[in-house]
Amino acid sequence: MSDILSAFSMVFLPAVITVILIWGIKSRIPIYDVFIEGAREGLKTAVDILPFILGIFVAIEALTSSGAMDFTEKLVQPVFRLFAIPEELIPLIILRPVSGSGSLAVVESIMEEAGPDSFAGRAAAVMAGSCETVFYVLALYFGVTSVKKMRHAFAAGLIGYAAGILASVYICLII
Amino acid sequence: MMNYIWGAMLLFGIMFSLIGGKASEFTEGLMNSSTEALQFILGLAGIMAVWSGLMKIAEKSGLISGISKAAGPLMRFLFPEEKNRSTIAMMIMSFTANIFGAGNSATVFSLKAMELLDEENGHSPYASNTMCMFIALSMSMIQLVPVTIMKIRSDLGSASPEDIILPSIGAGLISMIVSVWVCRIFERRQSHV
Repeated sequence: MSDILSAFSMVFLPAVITVILIWGIKSRIPIYDVFIEGAREGLKTAVDILPFILGIFVAIEALTSSGAMDFTEKLVQPVFRLFAIPEELIPLIILRPVSGSGSLAVVESIMEEAGPDSFAGRAAAVMAGSCETVFYVLALYFGVTSVKKMRHAFAAGLIGYAAGILASVYICLII
Repeated sequence: MMNYIWGAMLLFGIMFSLIGGKASEFTEGLMNSSTEALQFILGLAGIMAVWSGLMKIAEKSGLISGISKAAGPLMRFLFPEEKNRSTIAMMIMSFTANIFGAGNSATVFSLKAMELLDEENGHSPYASNTMCMFIALSMSMIQLVPVTIMKIRSDLGSASPEDIILPSIGAGLISMIVSVWVCRIFERRQSHV
């Protein structure tokens, strides 16, 4: 089962590129020239989002390197206990919304300490596999638009994240 | 909104670093994170240019409008206000790239979709319903095979690293349904006002 899924994931991008190229040749468009034209636009977008990335990275680092995260962990501990969420998962739950690579390191250390097949280890893995970096995505995506008021995107992201966290814990608890 | 969040994050950080005697860590972190941001963009810029080029071919050859027509019914349910075929196709590409674990490529498609949505929104300072729904879905989109996590698990000697695939998809689906539901509630409430 997982082999089939892995194989699918592996051939996905090559397959998409093949279809695009063949379709392009079939409709007789100058694919190389068009590619260059599009690539130029892509590079422009990359430069456009650089200031936003800088802003996000700096703000996240400010929170993690200063010890503010540790304080928040202690602050929210009682809430998590209420939902029967294991203590060792708290750092991950707090860090995940802001940093993808940072939270992966946390997942690794949780699995190292509790064991990859333990309840906490599995729950951490499921969380990383199903819960996204909410604040990071909001900042990045709205960064390329002129939006100043993100309306319900914020609430939807946050509530969806909470649902994902709870689901990860309880599914691992059952299985 | 972002102004307050961003300012609060930095000020909080500075406050805590001063209280905890970690001022030098803070300063060092500031330098490191700016370098990291540049490195991240350098890594993303290449794949971004490549996909923008390929998508341009797909757009000019009519493939994009074909894809968006085929995925019509589901996308109409999620984005009833969306008419632009290129935007729909970009959103579909972003979702599928996410599902197949091509995170960086998914980011490229998403940002392109957001740019198009911003244009359709008349560069308004208020996010459109479609933007909110698209972002909510992107944030909760499931991944078929969480490769990195499985690699960590097997490195640490897990008996069966792939055991987390189905729970991950299950938790992801629940988070997705909740996100869509929240968006719908807000949309409905605002359309009554």
